[in-house]
Amino acid sequence: MPKFLSCRTVVHAAVAVAGLVGVGAAVAQDRDSAILKRGADLATAGDCVACHTAPGGKAFAGGLVISSPMGGIVSSNITPDKTTGIGEYTESDFAKALRQGIRKDGAHLYPAMPYPSYSAITDADIHAMYEYFMHGVQPVTQTNPKTGLNFPFNIRAMMIGWNLLFGGPSPKTLDAQHMSQIERGRYLADALEHCGTCHTPRNFLLAERGSEYLGGATLAGWYAPNITSSVRSGIGDWSEGDLVQYLRSGSVPGRSQAAGMMGEAIEHSLSKLSDDDLHAIAVYIKQVPAIENSPGDRARDRYGSAQSILDIQKPKLDREDALFPMDGKRIYVNNCAACHGLDGAGAADHFTPSLFSNAVVGAPNPDNLIMAIVHGVDRDANGQHVLMPGFGPDSDVQRLSDRDVANLVNYLTETFGSGDHHVTADYVLTARNGGPLPGLVRNLPYLVSGVMVAVLTVIALIVLWVMRRARRAIID
Amino acid sequence: MNSSNSLSADVVIVGSGVAGASIANVLARAGLSVIVLEAGPRIDRQHILENFRASENKGAYQLPYPPVPWAMHPPDQGSPNGYLHTTGPDGAAYQQGYLRVLGGTTWHWAGCAWRYLPSDFEIQSRYGVGRDWAISYNDLEPFYYQAEVMMGVAGPNMDVDDLGSPRSHDYPMKEVPLSYAAEQFRKLIHEKTPYRVVHEPQARNTRPYDKRPTCEGNNNCMPLCPIGAMYNGIHSVNHAEAAGARIIPDAVVYRLETDSSNKKVTAVHYYDPDKNSYRVTGKYFVVAAHCIESAKLLLLSADEKNPRGIANSSDQVGRNMMDHTGVQLAFMSGDDSLWPGRGPLLTSIIDTFRDGPWRSERGAYLVHMVDDNQVDFATGLAIAKGYVGKELEEQIRYGSAHAVRLFSHNEGIADPNNRLTLSKTHKDVLGIPHPEVYYKLPDYTVKSCDHTKELFKELMVLMHGTDPQWTPGYFPQCHPSGSTIMGKDPTNSVVDHECRTHDHENLFVASSAVFSSVGTGNITLTIAALALRVADSLKREMLHA
Repeated sequence: MPKFLSCRTVVHAAVAVAGLVGVGAAVAQDRDSAILKRGADLATAGDCVACHTAPGGKAFAGGLVISSPMGGIVSSNITPDKTTGIGEYTESDFAKALRQGIRKDGAHLYPAMPYPSYSAITDADIHAMYEYFMHGVQPVTQTNPKTGLNFPFNIRAMMIGWNLLFGGPSPKTLDAQHMSQIERGRYLADALEHCGTCHTPRNFLLAERGSEYLGGATLAGWYAPNITSSVRSGIGDWSEGDLVQYLRSGSVPGRSQAAGMMGEAIEHSLSKLSDDDLHAIAVYIKQVPAIENSPGDRARDRYGSAQSILDIQKPKLDREDALFPMDGKRIYVNNCAACHGLDGAGAADHFTPSLFSNAVVGAPNPDNLIMAIVHGVDRDANGQHVLMPGFGPDSDVQRLSDRDVANLVNYLTETFGSGDHHVTADYVLTARNGGPLPGLVRNLPYLVSGVMVAVLTVIALIVLWVMRRARRAIID
Repeated sequence: MNSSNSLSADVVIVGSGVAGASIANVLARAGLSVIVLEAGPRIDRQHILENFRASENKGAYQLPYPPVPWAMHPPDQGSPNGYLHTTGPDGAAYQQGYLRVLGGTTWHWAGCAWRYLPSDFEIQSRYGVGRDWAISYNDLEPFYYQAEVMMGVAGPNMDVDDLGSPRSHDYPMKEVPLSYAAEQFRKLIHEKTPYRVVHEPQARNTRPYDKRPTCEGNNNCMPLCPIGAMYNGIHSVNHAEAAGARIIPDAVVYRLETDSSNKKVTAVHYYDPDKNSYRVTGKYFVVAAHCIESAKLLLLSADEKNPRGIANSSDQVGRNMMDHTGVQLAFMSGDDSLWPGRGPLLTSIIDTFRDGPWRSERGAYLVHMVDDNQVDFATGLAIAKGYVGKELEEQIRYGSAHAVRLFSHNEGIADPNNRLTLSKTHKDVLGIPHPEVYYKLPDYTVKSCDHTKELFKELMVLMHGTDPQWTPGYFPQCHPSGSTIMGKDPTNSVVDHECRTHDHENLFVASSAVFSSVGTGNITLTIAALALRVADSLKREMLHA
């Protein structure tokens, strides 16, 4: 059923059942269920469940720790439980939390909650989501740990200033069903799916840079790539069909496949959207103004070709207490080739992808390749559960050292991608620990001391001023 | 001995294979302190895989695992070797392959995960042969299921095939699909014979399971699954380690020590590769070091109080050595191409002769149509026939598509004369004697093998086969069992119904060593189920003490 249910459908359905039961009751009941369904679809499009459910926990009961450069942010219980959830929220409380990032108790949320995107959600859709969360979700009594960010980020009131500077757009006033396809795509991509939250780079104060909308950004060790219409830097040569297939399944053989947070977004949200919605998003994304920021000479999914079969002989068998050191090629042969092939072509039926013509391998930035190797791929979407095991420190298949991963990445990018990326073991370590810290956090000691200097200066001026007044008073 | 050479834990486990590792995992998760001592080294899948690819003899499953001097294991199954010495009329049928490495021998099993039949536990009372277990199938059933969940077993539910072992739950995963060759074979058997071919239960992923991928049919399950789709003991080692168990590789246990009353084990002693000695004390001890090494260790620990070895007042330690004995025939089918060697090694089995009233006379057996790559066999045959040039290539192509390999698992039976002892002539670098086994095939097993040979001949005729190649004699299936046999009577058995030794109340054995009969199915799932049952006993006893 399309997410944007037309009023006409509801009326027809209501009229159809009106003859059987009391007219008023039937209409009310039917409208209720239609609103609940629409609210559920909107919650899916907004991917609320991804953050508000702990691994193995009850849906929407929160407790997932979202790691941020400032510390761990714990998602809240958004079931309608009256004590531990949002059962006491009015619709206006709910709207304020979604659009402005302000809790019922007045405290400010951190923008890990994408309220700068949700701010554009229409009143009608807020209403439907509210109805769904109040009446369509099972209340769960679950108290989650408190978010504990490092100083000074633990001062929630700081968000007041941030919100003044970077708060999101006003709610759309147009009814969803009256939007054109491209408007609907934009509404879905910006307000609900919040693509820019990951794909748009952020400024020093961690707000999205409008001028580089969807131009690609680092993200907790991963890289959300440029998805503008640039042919060389973005996805300008992807067809609408390619995009729809990717958003629905996470895989377009010969182009790319989703892992990490994009895999989750596809699993929990995008794969569940209607065809109409996916096409709307694709049509909108395809016309986002190009941002040229790739050093490569072609699109990242246009590098490489099948390799001739590698020589896998060696002079004698290794004993565990006297192992030969492994170079990138040998690491590839013994960890990757059993599925991706000695030639890198993957499986004929694309059950395992080829490593050439693969955006993850061909990308100018090696982060996603590193993270896919370390953490693997685990994506259950569109009826297919794809699992590539990770090769990081907790792997049950093979635990590669950071040095091994670096050598492997360099071998892969040289052999199947745009050239040796000269990744180091330290770089791999940083990536799997969540990537480099943003400038704001990195420079915090200097900033704090800067603020201290400023505060002391102000105090000194005040003291000076008071003393002058006092002296003047004495003189007077 | 300084203090760093002294260690202590609630539970000390000797051996890190599927048995030891799964006990360690359960107990560590229950909050107990656990030390696991493994004689062999920690090994890496990537190096073993490279060894396999670089080795010429792909069928030599021990070859990619070169042993270290301080923890020798046999260099290859079925060939005379310098570590496991065999004597007796059928010594050649007892040259077992097994691994002494972290994670144990399931590094190179084929993943066949059978439950025993209820009758396998009661062959003496039902058929008047061999020995009954001190437990019944029903006692073990819940732990069979736990073991299937732990390993991730894909098997046929009742609506697909009834394998004869009643189940309280469905298999955790849908059965492995039959390979093309197995599908053709099954069609033929079902149309033309009274026998049946069933899906073999496999500890192999048919969907992502336990963060490991789905099987992609690389076909070298033995000697190593290259992608981790098949369960290996190392996965339980990893889980145990993550739960807080302390795993110590390269720790060769050479002695168990008892208290003055001799009722309790107080410590184990181990050597590191440089022969520095360490003493590890604990409240409970589990010997989970494979049938052969477990018996070897108990015998090796003989002292004044235990002159025949630890837990050996019955003189049954090292006796009753059993196995599944194999008969093998390869031939060229005269029918359509089968293209063996696609998909996992074993997906199907003939289980018609797994049980029946005739078990009072002869052993039961299972028959595999082994689905491995037959290029080797086809090439050898074509060269032997004198083909050269283009004809040689054609013959290899034809043979690779038509070769059929049948082998059997024939039931052994407990005979105290089939016995493991410590070698008087051979010692390893640490001065520890090698194991030595006297083996004479029981008539019960020979009769079973004779029956199998007749069946193989019948199947070859059915497939219009030519060029029969019988593997000479009998070969071991590497399922040694019985060396610390289970029983109710302390005078003729080593462990009781809980796998606790009759002699020492805090010492358990977790291994096929405790089997009272060996049935026909591969032994690993039963080892794992018994181990999980030991873990359950220990947990209840220790947490409620």
